[in-house]
Amino acid sequence: MTRLLAAEVRKLWTIWSTFVLFGILVVIDLGFGFAIAFAPGGRRGGEAGIVPHGSSQWFTNVFSVLDTSRLLALMLGVLIITGEYRHKTVTPTFLAEPRRGRVVTAKLGTAFGGGIALGVVTMVAGLLLGFVLVAAKVHACLTSFSRAGVQQGMSQALCRAQHGLYFVATTQTMWHDWSRIAPGVVLGTGLFAIYGLGLGALLKNQVVAIVVGLGFTLVLETIVGAIWPTIGEYLPGQAATALEDAARTTFEGANTRLLPWWGGAVMLLVYGVALALVGTLTTLRSDVT
Amino acid sequence: MPTIQARGLTKRFGPEVLAVDHLDFDALPGGVTGFLGPNGAGKTTTLRMLLGLVTPTSGTVLIDGHDYRHLPDPTMRVGAVLEASGFHPARTARNHLKLIATTAGISFGRIDECLALVGLSDAADRRVGGFSMGMRQRLELARAMLGEPDILVLDEPANGLDPQGIAWLRDFLKWYASGDASRGGDGRIVIVSSHLLSEAQLTVDDVIVLAAGRLAAQGKLQDLLAAGTKRAVRVRTPDTQRLVDALQAAHLPATVHDGYVVSEGAAAEVVGPIMVENRIEVHEMVSTTESLESLFFELTGGEGMHPGHGAGLMGDYRQMAGGAPSPAPGSSSRPLEEPK
Repeated sequence: MTRLLAAEVRKLWTIWSTFVLFGILVVIDLGFGFAIAFAPGGRRGGEAGIVPHGSSQWFTNVFSVLDTSRLLALMLGVLIITGEYRHKTVTPTFLAEPRRGRVVTAKLGTAFGGGIALGVVTMVAGLLLGFVLVAAKVHACLTSFSRAGVQQGMSQALCRAQHGLYFVATTQTMWHDWSRIAPGVVLGTGLFAIYGLGLGALLKNQVVAIVVGLGFTLVLETIVGAIWPTIGEYLPGQAATALEDAARTTFEGANTRLLPWWGGAVMLLVYGVALALVGTLTTLRSDVT
Repeated sequence: MPTIQARGLTKRFGPEVLAVDHLDFDALPGGVTGFLGPNGAGKTTTLRMLLGLVTPTSGTVLIDGHDYRHLPDPTMRVGAVLEASGFHPARTARNHLKLIATTAGISFGRIDECLALVGLSDAADRRVGGFSMGMRQRLELARAMLGEPDILVLDEPANGLDPQGIAWLRDFLKWYASGDASRGGDGRIVIVSSHLLSEAQLTVDDVIVLAAGRLAAQGKLQDLLAAGTKRAVRVRTPDTQRLVDALQAAHLPATVHDGYVVSEGAAAEVVGPIMVENRIEVHEMVSTTESLESLFFELTGGEGMHPGHGAGLMGDYRQMAGGAPSPAPGSSSRPLEEPK
């Protein structure tokens, strides 16, 4: 099994599409992050519904966008298995390991690892984004503070101390929000890659599996969740959201029902493994011609 | 000693198609076994059942007594070159082989050996997407050779190879089949499916002929050709009529075509003495055995299956010519350069 796992991991990093996927992920992370960061908000806050820049709520909002990376994790999982059929590399794979269940098990492990890697890259990109935001915030405040300070006849040293305190406080806020969100996102991408692998194992066709996976997560689940929230909370997307502690605080109450975080993890794992198992017993057992 | 044994092997695709029908065969080590049959005869399906890629509807095909799916180290036991096998176009040749070597626990040093063996050393770090058909075929062979298997299975390996490549492959397969024998073993099993009969005739020692999913013939190629009915002796002589009479007196068939006396089914060893006895002057005497091609058509009932050659025309031609003259197997093959 160790050899199979090693071979599966090697399969991923010997093709450029894997790196393209990671590249797209970073672009999406930064793009969404910036978009949310500079979405209409108040510099000083106070108005209802507007999140003050630099506040904990603001960072939470910016970082929770990063969970869209789970869609890419889903694609990664799908690609790991359907790519073999698409390029017909499934023939040498099954020649070298004819026990197909073992191949799928190794792929499950690889998908989980790959998903985790996607999650880690996402959160590192998020952290970099956070520092850029803090720096921008400090820079903006620095100029306004200095102007105000000089007007009030404050000494240069006091001004500096104030800036320093502000920087430390903002960084702390950011770090606090980041570390609260990171575990959920990383676990979510790992488990979503397993879910994608299950879909791929069952459907075998790359395009169909991606369309079904994304369509279900983005469209169908939203509709079901809106109509029957009790069912919705058990669906993969909501189960992944439940992993994130932040999700509970960001969109306060309203009508989002979520499972406890461990419940979400179990549900996702069940989806992935059950789909992969059914796929192994049906689709993958079929003749390779 | 490696063995391959098929018993009652059957494969149905849906209710309509019976691709392989109760097939029994044994492949023997030490020589190249040709797996011959017209398109749709079930060659590829049979080989894929052998390799565990296709599940038989009933019956078994066992390698050393085991189903392929239960072989502990399949890469070390069986190497396979298959037609529809794929490569990721973005992967380099070396990385492609590394995947298999990793799975099978083979050291990466062996990869360079195999690439050198098939002449792909220079292309090792190039992406397979830019490979020609022939290079892909060679890479497949390199992959099959990774585990130094006792059994080599090749489905239409000559596809995409140029004439030099085909000649090289022929020598390679013959060398590989006998390889282990030089170390005191019984040799290895090499199975090659092909529809290129003239090529197969030069390469194979044993044949398994399939027709419509059934076994049409199995045995040594030499024996099958010798037992063929299309054997004939053709003689050019000024005494045409005397020879015809003499042959007929000896209860041999004799007809005249284009100034040649043709005795179908007769052997030169029989016709020769009759001519000496009757003091008949001979200008030319040709003994024709059956060609693999005519034998193949006979066995598979595939006359007229090639467009442009009507059944009647082919039949007439063969009757007239008494079968195309066929060289002894291997006689025109180039001197064997040991691929090492």
